[in-house]
Amino acid sequence: MSITLDQITKRYQGAPVVNDVSLDIGDGEFFVLLGPSGSGKSTLLRAIAGLTGVDHGRISLHGRDVTHVAARQRGVGLVFQNYALFRHMTVADNIEFALRVRRVRAAQRRERRRELLRLVALEGMDDRLPTQLSGGQQQRVAVARALAHKPEVLLLDEPFGALDAKIREELRRTIREVQRELGITTVLVTHDQEEAFALADRIGIMNHGRLLEMGRPEDLYARPATRFVATFLGAANLVLARHTARGICVGGDPVTPPGSASTPAVRDHEVVAVLRPEDIEIAPGRQELESNFLGLGTVEQQLFVGANERLRVRLNNSADAGPIVTSEGGDTGDALLEVTRTQHDRRGYPVSSGQAVALGVRRLHVLATPLSSFTACAASETQVLTLSEEPLLVQLANRMKTRVSTRIEPSLGQPGESSATALAGVAVISAAPEAVAALQWLLRQGAEAVLLLPPQAPSPSRVLIHWLDEAARRATLAVSASLLRHVSAEAVYVGILPQDDETHRPLGMRALLDARSEAQAVHGLEIRTELGFGDVSQELTRRLAEAPNQLLILGVSNIEVLAERFAALLSHTRSPLLVVWQPAEGGAHAGT
Amino acid sequence: MPAPEAAGKGTLVQPNILPGFGLTFGFTTFFLSAIVLIPMAALVSMAASSHWHEFVHTVFSERALASYRLSFGASLLAASINLVFGFILAWTLVRYDFPGRKLIDALIDLPFALPTAVSGIALTTVFAQNGWLGHYLALGGIKVAYTWVGVTIALTLIGMPFMVRTVQPALAEVQTDLENAAEMLGASRFYVFRRIILPIVVPAMLTGFALAFARGVGEYGSVIFIAGNLPFKTEITPVLIVIRLEEYDYHGAAALGCVMLSISFLGLWAINHLQSWRRSRLAEGGR
Repeated sequence: MSITLDQITKRYQGAPVVNDVSLDIGDGEFFVLLGPSGSGKSTLLRAIAGLTGVDHGRISLHGRDVTHVAARQRGVGLVFQNYALFRHMTVADNIEFALRVRRVRAAQRRERRRELLRLVALEGMDDRLPTQLSGGQQQRVAVARALAHKPEVLLLDEPFGALDAKIREELRRTIREVQRELGITTVLVTHDQEEAFALADRIGIMNHGRLLEMGRPEDLYARPATRFVATFLGAANLVLARHTARGICVGGDPVTPPGSASTPAVRDHEVVAVLRPEDIEIAPGRQELESNFLGLGTVEQQLFVGANERLRVRLNNSADAGPIVTSEGGDTGDALLEVTRTQHDRRGYPVSSGQAVALGVRRLHVLATPLSSFTACAASETQVLTLSEEPLLVQLANRMKTRVSTRIEPSLGQPGESSATALAGVAVISAAPEAVAALQWLLRQGAEAVLLLPPQAPSPSRVLIHWLDEAARRATLAVSASLLRHVSAEAVYVGILPQDDETHRPLGMRALLDARSEAQAVHGLEIRTELGFGDVSQELTRRLAEAPNQLLILGVSNIEVLAERFAALLSHTRSPLLVVWQPAEGGAHAGT
Repeated sequence: MPAPEAAGKGTLVQPNILPGFGLTFGFTTFFLSAIVLIPMAALVSMAASSHWHEFVHTVFSERALASYRLSFGASLLAASINLVFGFILAWTLVRYDFPGRKLIDALIDLPFALPTAVSGIALTTVFAQNGWLGHYLALGGIKVAYTWVGVTIALTLIGMPFMVRTVQPALAEVQTDLENAAEMLGASRFYVFRRIILPIVVPAMLTGFALAFARGVGEYGSVIFIAGNLPFKTEITPVLIVIRLEEYDYHGAAALGCVMLSISFLGLWAINHLQSWRRSRLAEGGR
């Protein structure tokens, strides 16, 4: 491996800006770090360069640990967004700077400079001053300068940011050619997905300081695992759908997503589906559709964008379809679908605004997230409304681009009573002494995750994870991974042993390692691990009391155990608590 | 250094927010004449109207020569001290954020605002042999007040804001990215300072040096108290001129004034020339 990052964390005024990022970049690979501004991508690049220290983690370049090595000794070339050329020096002096520092002889310097100027297509510009060059040419000089001392790694920090579209494309091609010719390991930081697609062997997508997903561009586009990646990389409609035994129901016919045909025995539950605009078909009527019927709609808006036509179509039967979120940032609860068609399709069936059409789905992709939406549950209407407007809940829903629905359950928490319809997504109740009963009641109703929310809870900066028995591990990790992609918090798995002695300690350490490697392998999630001793409930209560702004994710497989041993923790918590329930294999649905 | 294609356009009068070139140039010459050139010319003609013999006698008298040495020597020394410490002050103010930074930034301008005589009295109080600092210095055998050291200290104080205020904006222009870039290319801190920061800041430092020096040569108020004005020892030229005036020797005063004028002008001209030479050397590199 050329570049290895191991659990890199960089905090700024206490808040993590780079959060537990681990990454392996191969020899000669072109890796693009993509993310919105403020996602921590530039900080990560500067950490690799050595211009920023890290608070936690290790950085290795070609197997050499350079975490505490000065920038000048790392053998890394860096290109800045604003070129950072030395204006009082000629192009030649700029390029030879690194060689002069190393006291390379003049003849050798001249030769290397010629070679580099040819590489970036700037022959004959040796004696110009940077101010006499265009922006594109200046950036070429900066690339040549960064390569002069033959670094093993080339880092580029938004190198095209200050250039116009045409020049940008030209320079992009040059950089790709230079990289191929030299076979140098390259990391480029950008917020432009088009740039990432054009250059990358692999893309890593960052948001809120976390590396959410990485992979080949085509894989990430076709099978994103998270909402953020689905909408950030290309355009997408996020749709809440029901996963039933017959397939995925968005509105009309169930659709079978590719690769998921082998899970017939699923329990009916809510999922988040990604519909790419180009995968939606429109036709005059249901019979004319070549793909699975989605619903009837009305064309609301029509835009001509060169090679394609972009439409916004309102679904008529939106009541059962649920809200649709487009990557344009449409309002939740809006049933507007974004559709793109090729000019060929447009000529075959021209449409205009206001026209009624039938919609079909050629292909859809279901996100792996267990947190599809939130349902605020309380016994009265006022309680439900207050709960659904809790700042933390609103923030989570916004970041997850999903809805908070409300549900009034007069019989909430009363034994024996049961509700008629199944719950969708995560149930949310307010933390109160009677919450234990409500929690049990909801779990019996089939809720798989319940969020206990104390009033005015702040956004967490640390998430504690614990499961009471191994049966709940898988579900707890899945929920944790999904939640942590949307909050900028550090994740800590807490393993708790009855007592600290020679026989228990190795077992505890093993459990920690298992937890960490499963989180990493299955969900691409980096977590820290800590070991505690004593009674589980007391230990968790103690840790929650240690600092404000913590959230606890608790995995359980037995409702009675939860009520008996955790009543105190559950009813008096001042931190938000997310209880994940997964019955043991073969266990009864409601536990024993 | 104009870009090659821009060279031909240089003669065109650029549209501007102030009315026409003729008017502004006319005003410039009038203004300069009225408050600078004509008074100077009067000074020179006054000096010239005295007898040649008398002129030489006044200008090259032992006392006058000693005062030149002190005036220009102390001014040069003070400007040099400011070159180093003014740079460090400016660097601290630009690069670091610390509690009280704004206050220190405001303190820099104080010597501008204070009547110079007040600064002189303050310095004398502190550096006199029984003063706060002078007391300790005297124990070490260093006498400040009533020596050339005192003169230099007064001139350093007076010249300091000129240095800091000219270097500050130039330093602010050196982006940390430039330093980072040089560091990434393998340069040590000293190398970065010498090859990246200094070349950008040197013109401003030269300007600051020239201003501080010019101010020092002309300074009167703050020096008279701390210097003690002993002829041949701690008497600066401006004081000598005032003494001549008090003796109603207007011709003598004018003659001394002329000498100061020419030496100062030569010094400033040399510094300006040095700057334009630097610029042209840079431009040649660009061809």
